[in-house]
Amino acid sequence: MLEATLNFKLLEQCSKCGACFSICPSCMHIPGYDPRAVIRDILDGNHDKWLSSRHIWQCLECHHCLEICYQHYGFENAMTALRTIAAKKGIHPTQVKRGWEMFVKTSRLGEPALPARKKLGLPEPKASGADEFKKLYAMLKAAREKKENPEGKGSE
Amino acid sequence: MKEFAVFWGCTIQTRFPFIEKSTRIVLESFKLPYRDIDGFTCCPEKSLVNNIDHGAFVVTAARNVALVDELDYDLVSPCTGCVSNLATVKGELRANPREKAEVNKLLKEVGREFKGTSKLQHLVPFFHDTVGVHAIKQKIKKDFTGMRIGIHYGCHMIRPSHALRNDDPLEPRKFDTLITALGAQSLQFMTKMMCCGQGLDRIDEHDRALHFARIKLKELKSLGCDALVLCCPSCFLQFDNNQFLMEKEGEKFGIPVIYFTELLGLAMGYKPEDLGMDLHRVDCTPFIKKWESLSERPPREDAIEDGLNAPGEL
Ligand code: SF4
Ligand code: SF4
Repeated sequence: MLEATLNFKLLEQCSKCGACFSICPSCMHIPGYDPRAVIRDILDGNHDKWLSSRHIWQCLECHHCLEICYQHYGFENAMTALRTIAAKKGIHPTQVKRGWEMFVKTSRLGEPALPARKKLGLPEPKASGADEFKKLYAMLKAAREKKENPEGKGSE
Repeated sequence: MKEFAVFWGCTIQTRFPFIEKSTRIVLESFKLPYRDIDGFTCCPEKSLVNNIDHGAFVVTAARNVALVDELDYDLVSPCTGCVSNLATVKGELRANPREKAEVNKLLKEVGREFKGTSKLQHLVPFFHDTVGVHAIKQKIKKDFTGMRIGIHYGCHMIRPSHALRNDDPLEPRKFDTLITALGAQSLQFMTKMMCCGQGLDRIDEHDRALHFARIKLKELKSLGCDALVLCCPSCFLQFDNNQFLMEKEGEKFGIPVIYFTELLGLAMGYKPEDLGMDLHRVDCTPFIKKWESLSERPPREDAIEDGLNAPGEL
């Protein structure tokens, strides 16, 4: 339910194109970063080769590839999919885990800096939606489980 | 003008409250109908949350949008990332009724509904489209004639274009139009549209993040740029903080980094300290000093006029 997806038909076209390589900042400035190779491997069924590679995290999600792409698709979709799989397996940069845990716990990536606000004469920050968010996230997880396990089998 | 909620986002409120300050100052002085509302969470940050759980990304953003939908407000944010993420999800749900139904089924349990009716805008296109250059010009007390400014749009102000639809995604103009309306020159440079690279800091690649910052700062320095102007807290972190860290290591660029609302505030007559510019890591004084010295000069017409009107020798 509400899971990430990857479109193989569009990736097939990518493998014949490669146009966005010339506009991608990571391709230009990070040696060894080349989504074309990643896409080739995905199409060959060898995506796992990349799961522990730093390169899949070096996509900046700047969407340059998406905008220049004649399919309005972009390299980034392949990188996002591989990052998702890697993260599920527990392979990720340490900061990613730290950030995720803070997000799930507090619904934010940091709390308002109160002393600095006071000094600047800023109003009290508004209430956060943390409680509602937590409820919602728990329900999403429960709904997924139910979908995988409709009769509650194997949930012991 | 329709009322709008300001979506401050985590980074501004956690790390850069002075950005909130200058934003409030300009919103107030234009008497814009902005509101603070209860209940927002992280937008959420795409590169973090979406990589781990697409569903959490969608549901969280949809809930934030539902809060403004309910009040029949629009939404404006001084953070490019927040707007881009919220708009991405709004676009995805509007294009995909089945997914929208799934999300709304969950939201209903907490008494909310995503409709996707509110307009979501970043502050820069908002000022361009809704406030307008004419109204801005009327507020200027002292413009930036003679100042050379490098603009950094920030990828997520304009991309993905299918979700944001506010400017050309590869050759945007609106930020340029605003800056030149303030009298400054907007430099055209090779790396103008290059991504700031702050994302690399979030995946434990600090040196590479510095390398990305360095590329743009080097070019700007070689062009005699007086300030880098931007409107995104992540880009600000990258160019102010990281430039400062490089300076500490002896690599000096000396390019002040100025938030759009600070530049606007200065032009409207606010003091740098009112706007919280003394809280930047990279010193903004060279920019202010040059600007002041330019305005102490007699108007440029004067010398020519004097010459033209001088008594003739022949
Ligand atoms: S989104 Fe990623 S792959 Fe696409 S151009 Fe940017 S860095 Fe490259
Ligand atoms: S993402 Fe688009 S531009 Fe890039 S290689 Fe694939 S088809 Fe070509």
